[in-house]
Amino acid sequence: MTLPSLSLLSQSILSGVFIGGMYSLIGLGLGLSWGLLRQINLAHFGFVFLSAYLSYHMATVWGLDPLLTLVLLPPLFFAIGVAMQWLLSRFLISPFNSLLVTFGFTVMIESLIQYVWTADFRRLQSGYGEEKFVLGPLYIPVPELLTLVLAVLFAFAIWAAMRFTDLGKAMRAMAEDGPIAAAFGINQRALSLILSGTCVALASIAGICFALTFTLTPTQIFSWVGVVFAVVMLGGLGSALGPLVAGVIVGVSEAVAMAVFAPSWAPLVSFSLLILMLLFRPGKV
Amino acid sequence: MLEVRNLHVAYGAAPALWDLSIRVGTGELVCVVGPNGAGKTTLINTLAGLQRASSGSIIFEGRDITRLAPHKFCQAGIAIVPESRRLFTSMTVLENLELGSFLPEAKARRRETLEQVCELFPAVRQKLAMPAGSLSGGQQQMVAIGRALMARPRLLLLDEPSLGLAPSIVMDMFDAIRRINAEGLSVLLVEQNVSMAMELATRAYVLEEGRIVMEGPARDLMQRPEIRKAYLGLD
Amino acid sequence: MNRKIVFGIIACGAVLAALPWIGVSAFYESFLYLLFHWVILAVSWNILSGYTGYFSFGHGAFFGAGIYGTAYLAGTLGWPFLATLPAAVLLAAALGLAIGAIVFRVARVRGELFALLTLAVTFVLATVILNTPIDGGPGIYLIGVDIPALGPSQASSIYMLGLITATVALLVSYWVYASKFGTGLFAIHDDEDVAEVMGVPTYRYKLYALAISCGLAGLAGGIHSVFVSYVTVSEVFSITVPLSVVLMSILGGSRHWIGPAVGAVVITCLLYYFTSGDSAVLGRAMVGLILVVVILFMPAGILGLVSGWRHVRRNRAAAKAVAEAPRKEHPPAAPVVRLKKAITGEPLLQVRGLSKSFTGVHALSDVTLDVRKGEILGLIGPNGSGKSTFINVVSGHYKPTRGEIIFEGRNLAGQDAHRFAQAGIARTYQIPRPFSHMTVLENVAMVGMFGGEGKSRAEATRDAQAFIEFAGLAHRAHALPDDLNLHQRKFLELARALAARPKLLLLDEVLSGLTPSEINEAIEMVQRIRDRGTTIVFVEHVMRAVMALTDRIVVLNHGVLIAQGNAADVMNEEDVRAAYLGKAHA
Repeated sequence: MTLPSLSLLSQSILSGVFIGGMYSLIGLGLGLSWGLLRQINLAHFGFVFLSAYLSYHMATVWGLDPLLTLVLLPPLFFAIGVAMQWLLSRFLISPFNSLLVTFGFTVMIESLIQYVWTADFRRLQSGYGEEKFVLGPLYIPVPELLTLVLAVLFAFAIWAAMRFTDLGKAMRAMAEDGPIAAAFGINQRALSLILSGTCVALASIAGICFALTFTLTPTQIFSWVGVVFAVVMLGGLGSALGPLVAGVIVGVSEAVAMAVFAPSWAPLVSFSLLILMLLFRPGKV
Repeated sequence: MLEVRNLHVAYGAAPALWDLSIRVGTGELVCVVGPNGAGKTTLINTLAGLQRASSGSIIFEGRDITRLAPHKFCQAGIAIVPESRRLFTSMTVLENLELGSFLPEAKARRRETLEQVCELFPAVRQKLAMPAGSLSGGQQQMVAIGRALMARPRLLLLDEPSLGLAPSIVMDMFDAIRRINAEGLSVLLVEQNVSMAMELATRAYVLEEGRIVMEGPARDLMQRPEIRKAYLGLD
Repeated sequence: MNRKIVFGIIACGAVLAALPWIGVSAFYESFLYLLFHWVILAVSWNILSGYTGYFSFGHGAFFGAGIYGTAYLAGTLGWPFLATLPAAVLLAAALGLAIGAIVFRVARVRGELFALLTLAVTFVLATVILNTPIDGGPGIYLIGVDIPALGPSQASSIYMLGLITATVALLVSYWVYASKFGTGLFAIHDDEDVAEVMGVPTYRYKLYALAISCGLAGLAGGIHSVFVSYVTVSEVFSITVPLSVVLMSILGGSRHWIGPAVGAVVITCLLYYFTSGDSAVLGRAMVGLILVVVILFMPAGILGLVSGWRHVRRNRAAAKAVAEAPRKEHPPAAPVVRLKKAITGEPLLQVRGLSKSFTGVHALSDVTLDVRKGEILGLIGPNGSGKSTFINVVSGHYKPTRGEIIFEGRNLAGQDAHRFAQAGIARTYQIPRPFSHMTVLENVAMVGMFGGEGKSRAEATRDAQAFIEFAGLAHRAHALPDDLNLHQRKFLELARALAARPKLLLLDEVLSGLTPSEINEAIEMVQRIRDRGTTIVFVEHVMRAVMALTDRIVVLNHGVLIAQGNAADVMNEEDVRAAYLGKAHA
């Protein structure tokens, strides 16, 4: 173990913050549907990748500006989310079985991606990919910055919507006591469709950021599951700001562990945090 | 205004209410008493749309609402104060009250109704920003009643508002119910605390083992030996 | 246990063992080895997760512990291969026990939390192995490891190892399934709290099941390391293993001993069929689709579906047999010993200063009372007065905040609930809580196995028949609880409590929700139970039953004992009437 230089350390903390932004952007929709709909939607990861590939396709093959896909894809994924919730709610599925069913969806999405785009590495080529700011000794890549900004933006937007709009309050009420919420005129069915649509739309936004930042390959889908679950559970299910905070904490601690020890030690940090959290604060989950 | 005809309710294969008929007139305060497990809560829940009737009909203001979707009962003009309150405990008192007026009509008059609720329960005004779960039992009961009033219902269903409360608070609670009723709101009250409920009510039904066994003006019923027998087992 | 099934498993194993000698090609040996491999993993996973419902996503960790155990010992340290296998088993089992010992203590970690926790363990273990000299990054080669010649070739030796282990795994799976231990595990699956109250030592049982499950997975890993002959962290600890075993078990039927094996065979063949050649991608999509369809349309799996049909047939046959049998007015009651006058002053249960608080709310405050041998003690009070809490504390379901529960001279306060059951205390639940996947007969027999002195499975099943008849449920013996009406479920609760042959029976509102004539029937039955010498504490709201049945009553209000004595006297007391009817009327 050798202590890295100060500038190296601050650069890795910064990259930890950025990767934390990615974690929280993916985790936001996942945690909302888990906390409020009682569904563990593994397909969330599938949707992130599907959206990433679609934006790659639009940008590279059709030549669209990647930022334009931010407008085009979320509505499409909203519709997918609505359809999925419609299917799941027909079968009155338990949280555990939702995990298995959505795993099935994820495998199907993965196969679809492999079929259309093959298992080769794909990289979204755009003007944004290579751009960087230089801030003193630190490099700030544009795609990562965009991810972080969007993560913060959406976390606060959802937080505000949950806190200050009637619709958001109704969703929280529905999660706490559905039948009583219905007795006050809240249409649970319609609300869960909207919520599920929103979560999947958030997945598509995360996917576009993902495509801007990372090289894509379909088998990568499952390598994000563990750490994002850790972030969501650390942040608190159904919370909007929790995953943001937890994402940055996990991202930074991983980055520091990488810099101080070795890159391959990074997973130990997030999963040890998750295990401790499950054992000692289960009430919060 | 409310007319329940030959209502049957069952949980799966297990019947909970048999062939039950009751009536609540406009402005009336009607009370349903009966020992635990008699089906009182099932009755209230069915009238609020929380539980489906297996047969029979619920006519409210001349309209058959038996088969309405659960979230339409509130729109029809019925609001519930459920057993053991069931507040949204992680949300603030104000949010709970606002959710009571979720539907557009009630929402339009939210400010006005909120003021009325705070006048009725001054203790609630100080607690608006607190999480509902942190309140005492009596205060929670006030919020639960307040939440129902926020919906501006024409019929208020109250399920055991005295449950688990200290005697002095029970008095306050019944006093509030009396005032609510005096302002013209029809009330259907389910209670274990028979004597208090009977004092308040105009008419009463006695529910035993899923059936109505007696009905009549509340004061008369209280004198009947059957009540003493059902509750105390004394002849 | 059915000997035919045991012989059947061994016979199948023996037949398959002949294959390498009749010249099956190495390709099919490898394919069949992979079948065995998945059968072992799925069956072993099922012993914990299918039987108890504690779905683990950490099977990869235990499998990986076995694989790396053998790889490190044989590949790096040069141990002889066979010697590494016991080490692989022990390593995996020890890892499982260490995790279980912590996790099973935390009651909230059930369901999806348990699944995620075990998944996280997998990643932690993978990281540790990757970064320590066990692997260190490049992986371990096992090319030079000698495999004992169990068959004509190297491939057939590995085939034989897989076959032997798969046979052992199926035997273990069946043994657990058919034993008392297995019954306890199934009870945990349906309702862990009730299982504990009925006498199942849930914590210990879960640990045993986990250890067996992990040990078998470790063995599968040890063997698999020589099959692949090169192990890397990313391959071993991938998400494939845990997800495949879950899928296989659910597809086959996770409540059945052979279900996971069926699922493993189906999926492995499907994957082989679809993924060989050009349609590999389509194959994976098919697997995903199958999972979705199975969960949505047949959550009990293939064998669950089949046993569902068989169950319906048996149920009909039993109902028919009873209908055709000559009707008797009264069911042949279990031997009636009239002990009505056997009430002595001698206390069976002494409760001293019992208090129970829930986050500041005092549900019971300083309750002191005696229950005398042979009596029926009525416990009454308004809603929320603490009656149910009293039953929950005295049956061991809740631990008291303060006070003593002295049963036959021994203080049980603070012990696990299964100790209460074993000491001779049984209870019913106000809202019946039968084990929903067990038939009426199995529900009753299960309590005979674990409650009181604890009988063997066969003996308890014989006894159960008598108790079911006593409760008038003989025609529904093979029905599932969901198919019973409330009245029958209440009587099932009674039959189940009686099957423990308790010294003290706690009845929690057995009459609520019954019709008047059913209530009469139930009152009669409670009388007959007491006449057989059982002491009863009877919580009830139906006052005519309280008056008819009780020798003494105790009144609780706001968690405080406010009166006790003869029923008619007590009900005339001022405080009691005030508690019931409100102050105004008193």
